[in-house]
Amino acid sequence: MLTPDIAMTYSGMGPDFRVLVDRARKLAHTNYKRIYNEYPPIRIMVQELAKVMQASTQSGGIRPFGVSLLVGGYDEHSDSFQLYQVDPSGSYFPWKATAIGKTAVSAKTFLEKRWNEDLELEDVIHVALLALKESVDGELTGENLDISVISEPQEHLLGFKGTDMTGPRVKKLSAEEINDRLDAL
Amino acid sequence: MDIILGVRLQDCTLVATSKAATRGISVLKANDDKTRILNTHNLLAYTGEAGDTVQFAEYIQANIQLYLMRENDTELSPKATALFVRNQLATSLRSRKPYQVNVLIGGYDTKTDVPALSWIDYLGTHVELPYAAHGYAAFYCSSLFDRHYRKDMDLEAGLDLLRMCVKELEMRMPIDFKGVYVKVVGKDGVRAIEL
Amino acid sequence: MSDPSSINGGCAVAMVGKDCIAIACDLRLGNQSLSLANNFEKVFPFGDKTFLGLTGLASDVLTLKEDFRLKHNLYKLREEREIEPETLANLVSSSLYERRFGPYFVGPIVAGLHSKTNKPFICGFDLIGCIDFAKDFIVSGTASDQLYGMCESLYEPDLEPEDLFETISQALLNAVDRDALSGWGAVVYIVTKDKVVKRVLRTRQD
Repeated sequence: MLTPDIAMTYSGMGPDFRVLVDRARKLAHTNYKRIYNEYPPIRIMVQELAKVMQASTQSGGIRPFGVSLLVGGYDEHSDSFQLYQVDPSGSYFPWKATAIGKTAVSAKTFLEKRWNEDLELEDVIHVALLALKESVDGELTGENLDISVISEPQEHLLGFKGTDMTGPRVKKLSAEEINDRLDAL
Repeated sequence: MDIILGVRLQDCTLVATSKAATRGISVLKANDDKTRILNTHNLLAYTGEAGDTVQFAEYIQANIQLYLMRENDTELSPKATALFVRNQLATSLRSRKPYQVNVLIGGYDTKTDVPALSWIDYLGTHVELPYAAHGYAAFYCSSLFDRHYRKDMDLEAGLDLLRMCVKELEMRMPIDFKGVYVKVVGKDGVRAIEL
Repeated sequence: MSDPSSINGGCAVAMVGKDCIAIACDLRLGNQSLSLANNFEKVFPFGDKTFLGLTGLASDVLTLKEDFRLKHNLYKLREEREIEPETLANLVSSSLYERRFGPYFVGPIVAGLHSKTNKPFICGFDLIGCIDFAKDFIVSGTASDQLYGMCESLYEPDLEPEDLFETISQALLNAVDRDALSGWGAVVYIVTKDKVVKRVLRTRQD
């Protein structure tokens, strides 16, 4: 989770990703929240990340980030959920559904067949798990797999009550919740 | 206190500055020109702290000249010139030692054929005015300007107005300011004129 | 009288009505007791339905007007939309606090309607950016004491645009008449969801 409404995942080098998460969280504050007192819209967040990744391709003495990113989030101003892919070059693309990593090509072909505009939340989780199952060799369990859902504000995740603040929209599913869905595949 | 006056007329701007350079109770000079020509159609008149004035005026003059050379003889408009000067003074205000200079900028916009007059003080306060003065002279002349100024005045009427001002100043100012230099900024540039 | 915020004089006021807001200012610019100009506006538009009023030291009013114009333009390019009044208010606040130990001598006020919901928003600031959120009205400038008095007695909630115009105009006019450093004309903006009306008021010229 980068901001209460934005989360990201990666494929590639784990340590590089952790650096990017740190950078993104800090940029969200220094370049946005501390100025406007609100979190950056996802497009701005993605642009900041892409800027960092692009800069590392041009600066001397450092190597580019060895990760591709999937950034998901909710945009308050257009009232829409959005998904972006960011590559090590710094180029980024908005998607309806996509995959990154070793088996991205086959997974994307799969998603192309199964995805449509009016899938419900449980349906997309189902489709995503199927896509993942296709391309993973070992067994899928709630312990070796993460799912984050960005949907309605989660008031109970706020940690306190009695304000007019809305809760975070990002929610990570527990191993148990994932296993339930794996069983239903 | 030095006297600088400015009047915007139908097709030119008049700027009058006192000839006396004073230090404390002494008049040091009776032919001091308190203006600098920035470019063909912009004239800067200044008052303020002794050392600062000329230093600042010539710094501005040099920069406006530099712009002329860099931009292939394209003149900065009176508006742009005034905003540049204002910016310099506003920046200087928050430095360790601000320039204590108040200026009037008489200009003539050759693109639109409109004369202009800007009042800028050391704080960086900028206003475009039909007639203006700095310092004590403003107290004596503002009412005269209010009463007699017409925006369609020609050069002769403008000079008459200045004569009234100078007469009033000679009568009410406690020291002899040795008369004024009058400059006209018009279509053909800046020229001095006898009052 | 070398207090920077009362050298040039001038004041501004904003009010909330029913689905509308009003923001107004006087037009005087002076140098101590000497009036220089009667066309010095202190309210500036930022987008269709958001306004910023700036009173205080005229030099800083000009500087900040340009500074916020720059920031607003960059914001529009980055976000591809207009800035909301709340967001502008926080931008003003953080920009002023950046100069905490060498402040701009201004008393800004922000008033506007939300671009989508058209919810009225007004607020005021001190010179270092502390926000004063208000439900009813905000005053600022050398006639702020007088404006508080006028607003406190004339204001009522949920006024229609025409009545809000009358209320804010009378509040401003009668306040500046009791302040030697304000007056010389006034401007009122009435902002409703699909229209902005700007009116220039005739006032006493003394």
